Amino acid sequence: MKLLRRVLAVLAMAGIAAAGIRLGGSGGSPPQRGGWRPLDLPPGQ
Amino acid sequence: MSTTFHVVGAGIVGRRIERLLHERVVAVHPPRQPDLARVRPGDTVLLAQAGEHAHTASQALEAGAHVVSVGDGPTDTRAQMGLGTLARERGVALVVGASLAPGLACLIARHLATPLASVDEIHVAVHGTAGPACAREHHAGLRGPAIGWHDESWVEYIGGSGRELCWFPEPIGARDCYRVAHSAPVVLQRAFPGVQRVSFRRSATRRDRLTARLPMLRPPHPEGGVGALRVEVRGAAPDGARVSAVAGIAELVGTATAATAVAFAERVTDLEPGLVLPGSTAVPTLDLLHAVEAHGVRLQTFTGIPVSVAS
Repeated sequence: MKLLRRVLAVLAMAGIAAAGIRLGGSGGSPPQRGGWRPLDLPPGQ
Repeated sequence: MSTTFHVVGAGIVGRRIERLLHERVVAVHPPRQPDLARVRPGDTVLLAQAGEHAHTASQALEAGAHVVSVGDGPTDTRAQMGLGTLARERGVALVVGASLAPGLACLIARHLATPLASVDEIHVAVHGTAGPACAREHHAGLRGPAIGWHDESWVEYIGGSGRELCWFPEPIGARDCYRVAHSAPVVLQRAFPGVQRVSFRRSATRRDRLTARLPMLRPPHPEGGVGALRVEVRGAAPDGARVSAVAGIAELVGTATAATAVAFAERVTDLEPGLVLPGSTAVPTLDLLHAVEAHGVRLQTFTGIPVSVAS
């Protein structure tokens, strides 16, 4: 019984920590716009 | 006056150069023993063979011919740079590194740098190889030592170090790239006086890095697939804002290298006699980039990079 309570406590603490990290985020999503486009060269010299 | 183009080397790049020069008179020389006795003053010799080019370049210059070299070994490139005086004395141009990198990479870097007030950093990355000789050099390049220009001094790195995830134009996308022995930093540092950092990286797999110090375990492919080039220039805009500009290509490495070499060869008589470095201000960068595009290489630029705004 004591072992089961310890296991449940550990799982609960891990869940709380994971939720905190998940909600806190780490830097936002990567850029969603932009990409490779053809390079428009001005007329030659 | 008609000019004879001599192509030394008959690999992927040499054959593609010959194809692009199809309307001109072309003499193709075997890579190991080029018959330079046939070279006349005013001819143009394109060096597209594997290995070192400095000795053959010296012989061609002595014969009064313009030389366009696609070599990318750092030691050989430095040796060729030492031939600038000979070329000037003979009244001919010696173009060093007219390949995908340093050649096209330097032209793109100059184009990106033109609107900037100052250039601080240039970072080049390449994915892919042309023919088997190019693949062998890629394999050997991972053994290093790799050089980089860092805070206005040369730094030697272990080959295969400095992993960086580089984003190339599609269909290549993101690849892990590493420092390798290559001449691009040597040429870029000379072509951009005042630049503080120059780096060159190549894409490689874990197997490439693990086996770099061994002989190649199996023969390389006849030609690598689609390769790519990525050039990033960082500097300051005229208003003082920090700017990072990125451009590149996705193309067969042999095709892009041949297009760059032929673009230089077609304009070699218009260049100042002596040492010619791609990316220098003495080179008609825009004309050359147009010529490269005319040979089927599509230049691309990366948009969406945040640019800081001066307050």
